[in-house]
Amino acid sequence: MIVRQIIRSIGPILIVLLLASCSSRQSLFVVLPNADGSSGAVTIETPQKSVLLDKPYAAGEVRSGVAAPVQVDQAQVQQIFGNALAAQPVLPSHFVLYFEKDSDVLTPASKRQYESVFDDIKRRPVYEVEVIGHTDTMGTQAHNQQLSMSRAEMIRDRLVHDGINPKSISVAGRGSLDEAVKTADQVAEPRNRRVEITVR
Amino acid sequence: MKFTNRFWHTAECFAFILAMLAVAGSTAYADNSQVAQIKTVSGQAEIVRNGARAAAKIGDPLYEKDTIETGADGSIGITFIDNTVMSGGPNSQIVLEDYKFNSSDFKGSMLTDMNRGTVSMISGDIARSTPGAMKVKTPTAILAVRGTSFVIEVKP
Repeated sequence: MIVRQIIRSIGPILIVLLLASCSSRQSLFVVLPNADGSSGAVTIETPQKSVLLDKPYAAGEVRSGVAAPVQVDQAQVQQIFGNALAAQPVLPSHFVLYFEKDSDVLTPASKRQYESVFDDIKRRPVYEVEVIGHTDTMGTQAHNQQLSMSRAEMIRDRLVHDGINPKSISVAGRGSLDEAVKTADQVAEPRNRRVEITVR
Repeated sequence: MKFTNRFWHTAECFAFILAMLAVAGSTAYADNSQVAQIKTVSGQAEIVRNGARAAAKIGDPLYEKDTIETGADGSIGITFIDNTVMSGGPNSQIVLEDYKFNSSDFKGSMLTDMNRGTVSMISGDIARSTPGAMKVKTPTAILAVRGTSFVIEVKP
């Protein structure tokens, strides 16, 4: 009689435990903090349920095809993902160098900044460099197209002169199409006289 | 008469060849557009492209539809042309299922199949400029990414 009662009371618990052990974790998702400590968000979408993860170390898992939030700590992340994280490439860098008016000569501050572009490229085992030239809205479109290209080519030539592989550098000129600061036509704007350099 | 026949035959051949070249040209263009570059390799890591398998090497280009596979001691790190960064741990299989990127307006789309193993990703220009355009598919779920760093483990 007592035995039957015990079975009756713990039976459902046993079934739940059995089900839980049957449905093992199929996948795990964790949001990591960005370099500045902030984070974006991801949504785990499964047919029955979606789970939003929008904080650093917010985590979710899928069991039996259903998503659910789950707790993980930094140590667990390191244990599971340590190898993948260690294989992460050097992150891409972005630089902006500025030019004198209607010229492909760098401003004094940007001449110094060029050195950090060069150093950033050199610390990478393998690299790709994108150089995109821009102008302000002074002058004709044709002239600005030409000027933006000369600015990009000047940087490329300087990098090649300093030993960077020309095959790994791409250049483009965008004229005054992509202003950093929106202005009317025929406005001299130092912040628009620039090249944008991406190193990855 | 004979001349005309031959002329038309030649013209037809010529048109056919031109058409074939156009098709081959457009295909070659799609195949030739590099979407990522291999930046780090450790242990056993291979790229499967059109059924052919080759060891992954630092500096090699990757293309849409490439499959990345790592062995028990393997890992690999790659950077996409939109500056998305991805790295895979051991015993992983990752397929670059869809990748489109326009470097002028930074818009595009990206679907990665994460079939097994571990992967770490930091989203780039595609996720920033095109909401909802970056997705990762696992065998049981789809991950929609809004500008962030994240990791995924998929059990075999």
